[in-house]
Amino acid sequence: MDILELREVSEVFYTDSDETEAVKDLSLTVSEGEFVSIIGPSGCGKTTLLSLICGLLKPTSGQVLLHGSKRVGYMLQRDQLFEWRTVRRNVHLGLEIQHRLTQSQRDYADGLLKKYGLWEFRKHRPMQLSGGMRQRAALIRTLATEPDLLLLDEPFSALDFQTRLEVCDDVYSIIRNEHKTAVLVTHDISEALSMSDRVIVLSARPATVIAEHHPNLDGTPLERRESADFSAQFELLHSYLHGGGV
Amino acid sequence: MKNTFSPEHRAYIRRRRLRRAATVSAQAGVLVLLLGIWELAARLEWVDSFITSSPSRIAVTLYQLTVDGTLWRHAGISTLETLAGFAIGTVCGYLAAVVLWWNNFLKDVFEPYVVVLNSLPKIALGPLIIIWAGTGKASIITMAVLISVVVTTLTILNGFAETDRDKALLLRSMGANRLQIFVKLVAPANVPTLMAALKINVGMSWIGSIMGEYLVSKEGLGYLLVYGSQVFRLDLVMTCTVVLCALAGGMYALVALAEKLVNRHFGKY
Repeated sequence: MDILELREVSEVFYTDSDETEAVKDLSLTVSEGEFVSIIGPSGCGKTTLLSLICGLLKPTSGQVLLHGSKRVGYMLQRDQLFEWRTVRRNVHLGLEIQHRLTQSQRDYADGLLKKYGLWEFRKHRPMQLSGGMRQRAALIRTLATEPDLLLLDEPFSALDFQTRLEVCDDVYSIIRNEHKTAVLVTHDISEALSMSDRVIVLSARPATVIAEHHPNLDGTPLERRESADFSAQFELLHSYLHGGGV
Repeated sequence: MKNTFSPEHRAYIRRRRLRRAATVSAQAGVLVLLLGIWELAARLEWVDSFITSSPSRIAVTLYQLTVDGTLWRHAGISTLETLAGFAIGTVCGYLAAVVLWWNNFLKDVFEPYVVVLNSLPKIALGPLIIIWAGTGKASIITMAVLISVVVTTLTILNGFAETDRDKALLLRSMGANRLQIFVKLVAPANVPTLMAALKINVGMSWIGSIMGEYLVSKEGLGYLLVYGSQVFRLDLVMTCTVVLCALAGGMYALVALAEKLVNRHFGKY
């Protein structure tokens, strides 16, 4: 079942001197339980696309349809944890905003903290956590609101390479474990290949879909990176991105 | 835990303590030296102590003023006026910043006015204030408020504007309205800004209340200063200045302590 559908979505930004088409006639669908990556050259409007999906922006034309429940969880570049809150109260943030901080939701959030190894750190401040743990806390904060669709905006870009590989594995397994649908936006081809069921390649601005790719790789992101087929697929996606077409 | 310190670590701590002790002794030394030279210059009549006063004469004056209660009355009144100006200026300045942050249109409309008000020397409004607010405490407090309020608004508004946009985006993606963004993010993120503004306002409100007293008052340290200079009692002028230093310094120290405690919770590091 499709959970998200974009129909010929366009987004135009205006300034005094300019009119910028960020997204043009973009159509795509995401099915329930799928992990989709969207890659494109930097500045191609990927973040605009996520803002459109979670309703922070209205499309200039076209439609963004969320089927079923409309709860979307957005994970940004960097963890955006609030330093004045403990880890546990950071995790509660979304529930507070949505006035849903009930005992059962609290228990659910506590359960996530326990399941993913942050329970002992619940009273810590974010700055007392490592980069990887901070990212995990940010993911749990997103999951605590029980979103039907997770949007990940280059969530690993602020981490150093070694941590990035670990956190990538970590986030992937948590998302799979919780049976969540996820859309990851990145400019990192190997990240996209190692995590997703499907990779959508966008053109340079104005962004539109130029190719779709099914990695057909198995296992965790780290295992995928080591599989024999990985580099060939990497080359293929790289040629899409830099060849400008199919 | 302390027993686990390595010898090198203990040596480091000892060096730090020595350094701190040296700084404090040198600070005290500078004060003693200056007071000593001043006293000596007055005693040996290098300078005319009628004009320069001297530490011993200040001490005697301070004692007399304390014993007959004059000091308590004047210092108390000035402190109250300053605290009132400080509180009203901070609260109004903060509220104005919230309003301007809340509504971008209002911000655009009022920004030039705020900038002009900020550069205006508030003492120029003195005559107007006297006419409008009378020659009592209201005028003095108004002056203290005027001096602290605009700079508070500007400082706080600046802090509000520099709040992390991505964090606001995160809250909006969770469905937060403007009030929630303020309560959950902008206000707590700017507690350190507020504390910095409070520190500035200690000085500002003292300037305001003393200037106000110069203009209109019948009591207070500012009045005593003017009176002392008019009757050429420089001992009195100097004593008032010393008391003023102590009061302003003490108030600043209290705010700085509060800042330290509060920033432990809200500060980034």
